[in-house]
Amino acid sequence: MNAPLMACIDVVDLVTEWMEGALDEDHRGELEEHLVVCPDCTEFVRQLRLTQQSLANLRATALASVVRDRLLEEFARWTDQRQG
Amino acid sequence: MVLVRRVDRHAPAPVSPRCGPRRLRSTGTGAGAPAAASGDGPGYRPTVVDVPAELADSAVGAPATAGSSPPSAEELALVQALRDGDQAAFVVLIDRYGSAMLRLARTYVATAEAAEDVVQETWLGVVRGIDRFEGRSSLKTWIFRILANRARTTGSRDARSLPFSGLTPDDPSDPTVEPERFTPDGRWAGHWAVPPTPLPEDRVLGLELRANLEAVIDGLPARQRAVIVLRDVEGLSATEASEVLGLSDANQRVLLHRARCRVRAQLETLVTDGGSRP
Repeated sequence: MNAPLMACIDVVDLVTEWMEGALDEDHRGELEEHLVVCPDCTEFVRQLRLTQQSLANLRATALASVVRDRLLEEFARWTDQRQG
Repeated sequence: MVLVRRVDRHAPAPVSPRCGPRRLRSTGTGAGAPAAASGDGPGYRPTVVDVPAELADSAVGAPATAGSSPPSAEELALVQALRDGDQAAFVVLIDRYGSAMLRLARTYVATAEAAEDVVQETWLGVVRGIDRFEGRSSLKTWIFRILANRARTTGSRDARSLPFSGLTPDDPSDPTVEPERFTPDGRWAGHWAVPPTPLPEDRVLGLELRANLEAVIDGLPARQRAVIVLRDVEGLSATEASEVLGLSDANQRVLLHRARCRVRAQLETLVTDGGSRP
């Protein structure tokens, strides 16, 4: 079996550009051909996507109530000023 | 074997996109004539948007922020509600963005207290400036831009913490995939010697690792942290994140790459170690 054109280390290097759609056509083709034959790099890509998903799970973590209360006080003060 | 190795098409980046130190591979035809980035992906724009002045949304002659999404109908409704002094709208917004704002503020200032102050000042700026919001960018981008400007100002007064000053590179000698994990030479040079350890999806996405993940983000270099918080935690587009942080798209991508690789590596370690440590 021949080694694929692009090495795994290059895939790892370029993968974010690829995921972001910023890779030029030649490299994109090589990278995608590599993924077809390389389960390890496919797993690497899957893990980066999983990483993204796990980070998205942190979205809208609750604010500490002390911070939240302070903000609501400020908002009340602002609306008072605005109306007053 | 000919490997067409990309030459650096971009303006000099402050950090290398490489995941680990390694030799350059041979270049073939085409490498000397770099094509412009194809820009065919979602959100990619070659335009570099300068750091906007605070509340630049309403500034005369402000660039028509190409690539920024306009406010959604829901956002426009929230803007109107804020103008009407509706506290419920304010609550929706602080619950939606408050924690990400704290995380982002924390990349500029030295203490958690200072970050809370920046977030508070930002919300005051948002409500006081809401009449000047013209909808040239999404409300989300506008809010984060105000935050980044506030935090930058506060951070620059704070001698202990200047993560965004100048072009201080993140440590490029710290590989995001260790070079030892690739075969050093021979026919399979540059291919995995120690492939990625499988990450079970249920564990990675489970609640158990959440605290670890927070700690991993907090441990990233400041600029990587800022980018990954906006992109992956908060879900801003590449263009929006670049605009908020005053980065070129290329640099934004390099920082995102390094940050994601590092978080992945830490997840791998956590899962391999078998336990979740606080």
